[in-house]
Amino acid sequence: MTSIEEKFEESKRLGLQIVKESAEEDRLMTLSVGPQHPGSGHFRFVIKVDGDYIVFCDPDPGYVHRGEEKMCEHRNVIQNIPHLERPVIHDSANINYSYSLAIEELVGVEVPRRGQFIRAIASELNRQVYTLYWLAIYGIFLGHSTMFMWPTGDRELLIDLLEALTGARVTHAFNIPGGVRNDVPEGFKDRCLRQIKYLQKRFKEYEDIFYNNPLFRQRTEGVAVLSKEDAIKLGVTGSVLRASNVPFDVRKAEPYDIYNEIDFKVQYMKTGDCFARAYVPLLDMQESCYILEQLLDKIPSSGEVRAKLQPNPKGPPGEAYRRVESGRGALGYYIVSDGTPKPYRVKISVGSFRNMLALPHLLVGQRLADMPAVYWSLNYWPVEADR
Amino acid sequence: MSNNNKKELNKVGASGQTKDSPTASDSTTEQSQPSQPSSQPSPPPSSSSQPKQSPAKPSQPPATTAASATGAGSKANTTSQPAKTQPEPPAFEKGLVDQIKNKFGDTVNVLFIKPLRIKIQVDPQNIVEVANYLRDRLAFDHAESVAGTDYPKDNQIEVIYHLGSYTREELASHILWLTTRTNRDDARLPTLINVYKSVEYHERECYEMLGVYFEGHPRNERFLLPEDWADIPPLRKDFKIKGR
Amino acid sequence: MASYPQDARFGGFVGSLLWLIFWILVIVALVGLPLIFIILFYVPLPEIDGEVLTPYLFLTSILYPQSAVPVIETFLDSTLFKVAVFPGFTYGALIAAATIFIERKFLAKMQLRVGPLYAGKIEGILQLIADGLKLISKEIIIPSGADKTIFWAAPIAFVATAAAVIALIPAAPGWVVADIDVGLLAIFAILGFFPLIALLFSWASNSKYPFIGGLRALHQMIAFEIPFILSALSVVLLSGTLNLTEVVESQIQSYWFILFLPISAFVFYISSLAELERVPFDLPEAESEIVAGWLTETSGMIYGLIQLGSYIKTYALAALFVVLFLGGWAGPQIFPAQIIPESEETLIPVLYDATIANAIFWFTLKTFGIIMLMLLPRGISPRIRIDILLHTGWYKLIVLAFINMFVALALIYGGVLGPGGLLVR
Repeated sequence: MTSIEEKFEESKRLGLQIVKESAEEDRLMTLSVGPQHPGSGHFRFVIKVDGDYIVFCDPDPGYVHRGEEKMCEHRNVIQNIPHLERPVIHDSANINYSYSLAIEELVGVEVPRRGQFIRAIASELNRQVYTLYWLAIYGIFLGHSTMFMWPTGDRELLIDLLEALTGARVTHAFNIPGGVRNDVPEGFKDRCLRQIKYLQKRFKEYEDIFYNNPLFRQRTEGVAVLSKEDAIKLGVTGSVLRASNVPFDVRKAEPYDIYNEIDFKVQYMKTGDCFARAYVPLLDMQESCYILEQLLDKIPSSGEVRAKLQPNPKGPPGEAYRRVESGRGALGYYIVSDGTPKPYRVKISVGSFRNMLALPHLLVGQRLADMPAVYWSLNYWPVEADR
Repeated sequence: MSNNNKKELNKVGASGQTKDSPTASDSTTEQSQPSQPSSQPSPPPSSSSQPKQSPAKPSQPPATTAASATGAGSKANTTSQPAKTQPEPPAFEKGLVDQIKNKFGDTVNVLFIKPLRIKIQVDPQNIVEVANYLRDRLAFDHAESVAGTDYPKDNQIEVIYHLGSYTREELASHILWLTTRTNRDDARLPTLINVYKSVEYHERECYEMLGVYFEGHPRNERFLLPEDWADIPPLRKDFKIKGR
Repeated sequence: MASYPQDARFGGFVGSLLWLIFWILVIVALVGLPLIFIILFYVPLPEIDGEVLTPYLFLTSILYPQSAVPVIETFLDSTLFKVAVFPGFTYGALIAAATIFIERKFLAKMQLRVGPLYAGKIEGILQLIADGLKLISKEIIIPSGADKTIFWAAPIAFVATAAAVIALIPAAPGWVVADIDVGLLAIFAILGFFPLIALLFSWASNSKYPFIGGLRALHQMIAFEIPFILSALSVVLLSGTLNLTEVVESQIQSYWFILFLPISAFVFYISSLAELERVPFDLPEAESEIVAGWLTETSGMIYGLIQLGSYIKTYALAALFVVLFLGGWAGPQIFPAQIIPESEETLIPVLYDATIANAIFWFTLKTFGIIMLMLLPRGISPRIRIDILLHTGWYKLIVLAFINMFVALALIYGGVLGPGGLLVR
């Protein structure tokens, strides 16, 4: 063969090879459930779909990464509070709670008793606010517009309550190292108890329209089962863990502040499918209502709510790791202090980041139509995972 | 906060860094009733299962000047207070540490034992073995988070694995800190992904934020940073935030 | 809630008004006048009392209103009126518009909201006009690799097909645009065109999410056409004809067919929900999974046309349900025979026909009832999944439709219905 014919044969051979390699790839369609998608939030994950089944999933967070941890090193302990609550604006009391606990351990401050109760009240209210929002988005992800409107409307009542308590609707900057910023206003207790009773009535209506809806059950029962071993191995936390038969709640396992005086049960379910992960937050909310009633009952009638710190509080060099049960799971802060007013290193361990690991594990093998149901059942808040 | 704790902290200040106890106005703090009598830093050792009082004790072990200790942090004997003896480490945690030390001897360096928090340090080449032991024998079955801290003064980067336990009841409230240090200029560490699957994304974030290469990790790539990141890893101390 | 800009001057306002008048005059002169001449020259004008309608004759009707009556009657009998006004496009569009507004208010009340409130004086009644104006004013963005012909043609074809279905449905005795002897078959033939439009449009969009949405639309609509046809077939068995007017007549002679065919009515209802892509069957447009399905790349008036077509289709299928199962325009006579008795001088009483008015009233009432029933699942259910949908459509609904067909056959052969039957009045 002449050299030209040789080259011709060679390119033909290569051409066929290239075509054959990509024929299998051709079956799969790559979809970017990207940041510009009504079903993903500020988060992107790439999935490859073979017909109707998902065969590959790769999360790609970082669209709202703000550098919270780096920013903490340049501000002193109190200045960190407003920007640290932004990662999860509607659950801000909890993310500040954990930070305050860690700082108090480093600085060496004891919070007065009434302040501890008020902190717990704000934390429980915020947990309910977050879970109602999560439930609303779960409804709309499955196409149920009424389930989107009802929890969002009920959530407004709680947000009004929090506004009366703290002065702001969502990002309160209420829990600070040393206690809370101000005392409860007059008439708060009665108003709070009224709202709790109303909410408990509404939970029954949610069950009627959503959880007992045969279409919802068909779509979520038996879908994407996370077994107990996998849940422990992947290190998930929060309601995802409790839905897989592991009754772990930080408020019971490592009670902080006055949670050892409150009597409540850890709600969990055994099945580990999407329905369990959707139902456990509702059970958590009902427990939270009981906790709130006890808190309002036991709060000391007077006392300081805040231990005043010096203007630039600093403690001896040390490290602290404290965690709190937030709406999404265990939220931990690891703070290293070198004796200056600004922390040396702040590491936030959020529930969403840990639960993200379950997403590729669960989505592979599911249908494309199950994608929003599975994704949102992991209780993932993108902004918090990116920090 | 009661007064004797404040005095204790004042005395502890001899260990190096500036040490101002919070000058809270005494009147307010004395009037506020602490939730538990906070006289002694260590809780009674009998509460080995789920200590009921809140562990938010301002009990600063006097020796954790971890920022400056180059791995040879000792537990209890840098400073001694004239009026009190060294707080006794709680018995259950001490039991765990003894188990670890029996198995590994000197390769494991115990930095401190606080109620519910233990910090041990190992060298990079032993970390996989120690982690396997912790997972199989002591039932610390998942890693809650992986944090990396940059210490430019010692030219080292410290990576801490916070390990927790879901399966063993007594350990539910404990967090074991497994740390290792590596050189700052050529930061390489073996990955623990085969021991704890939950560290996959945390190690990846540590790689991109601090520049620590985890050998054996399937994807040492950027995770949260934008695709066109062309600067040094941001959590290093010599990365200056622009405009500040 | 507009605020005037600071430098607005009255002279500028007057100038813009004059500019507007100028353009109106230009359009009338350049377009309107030639149109009138074309009509006068080429369109055959009706004859009134032996005299051809001339403009002079037309203008004298101002003095003698009763002389305009024949003109109006001729106009009312013409096909143009039937197509354009009643029971054709205008009627359908008005009902579609009312449907959209009622749907938004109805859902809002169910969901603890208020719905449209600010556009218009009474409870946001002009919201539709506001939305229409907004959609018209938006830019139409066509993706770069899209097939432009189909991209423009498909929405128009969608609306045209929906309007074609309306053309076959009788709203009052004698008032149907096309009185075909195989009317029901023609309707199913036209309805079979919709999956094709959806698929062509999604393919022309050249994007992945519309592709998935189009395939889902195709699967869904094809799966539910068979139960649709089978359930209507039971009605054909009972009435013995495919002509829709005669179907209504046979229901007037016996009883409404829904009493004999409740299961078929149910199957028809579910299938029409699936054909209309309404919740719980709105998979082709599943917002949280595939962005907007096959409507992803639509913007501006293309989206508006598809929504209009969708609501016209809603009216069409609801009207079909009423005609087949609920007796069409049958109902007790509630309009008096004459509005103002013993007066034949004025216009309206002459044109007034009690039976027609009654028929229109009952037909519209029943259609609105069925439309409300179709709006209801949107507030109650989540979206169904594709495999459950196909399972339902291919297995369960066909079985149910067959059951009722056997019931219908039994009724016919048992002599209960059909010609000379027991229940025929």
